[in-house]
Amino acid sequence: MTFTATTQIDDAIATITLAGELDASSAPIFRDQIDAVAKASPSRIVLEASGLDFMSSAGLRVLVFAKQKLGTEVDIYLAAAQELIIETLEKTGFDQSVIIVDSYDAAIS
Amino acid sequence: MEQLTVRGELTSLKPIADFVIAEAAKVGLDKKATYRLRLAIDEIATNIILYGYQNQNAEGDLLLSATADSSKLEIAIEDNAVPFDPMGAKQVEAHELERPLDEREIGGLGVYLAIQGVDQFRYERVSDRNRNIFVMNLA
Repeated sequence: MTFTATTQIDDAIATITLAGELDASSAPIFRDQIDAVAKASPSRIVLEASGLDFMSSAGLRVLVFAKQKLGTEVDIYLAAAQELIIETLEKTGFDQSVIIVDSYDAAIS
Repeated sequence: MEQLTVRGELTSLKPIADFVIAEAAKVGLDKKATYRLRLAIDEIATNIILYGYQNQNAEGDLLLSATADSSKLEIAIEDNAVPFDPMGAKQVEAHELERPLDEREIGGLGVYLAIQGVDQFRYERVSDRNRNIFVMNLA
């Protein structure tokens, strides 16, 4: 499925809804959204990932880019991601830097 | 033996994934194992495309071939890019995986995910070609 990333910003929380397959060919789309979001100086980024079917290390590299671009004080939440995507974050230690939550509501509360 | 030849371009990642998923389905590989195999092949194929071909201003193909028996599914990627052995590349060390993201060095994660996501990984250099072999055991 084609990758899409759409952004909405409410009350300093930037929600980026990710869907489809995030690989090296689609990662620039995600990176562009991070770039756009950074200009709004959000206090928090929530990645709504219930529709994300696949993520390679190209997606991890965008997460590193996001942390470096926004600063460590801006928390990044990954909400409603599929089990195998969470496994990739755990294997690589990204679960120490990205807050993994079961639902979108848990990420914005 | 099933085969697929694609151009060494990032747009080829999708047909590569479709090929891997179809071959995994034929032998009844479960969802998790299929995902890990697809991820491993995506990572190595990406490295071949970006660093083997594009960074060298070289053009070339990737040839995928799949063979299976009752005990395992084996998928190989062959390319004629510069020699590159993922096993010989700088490996991600354990302490690197524990560092916060803003201090991370980029790189190496794809190869790490590839090698430890499959049951067996082998690299061979055969005449002027690289061959990366991924094996998943069948229950």
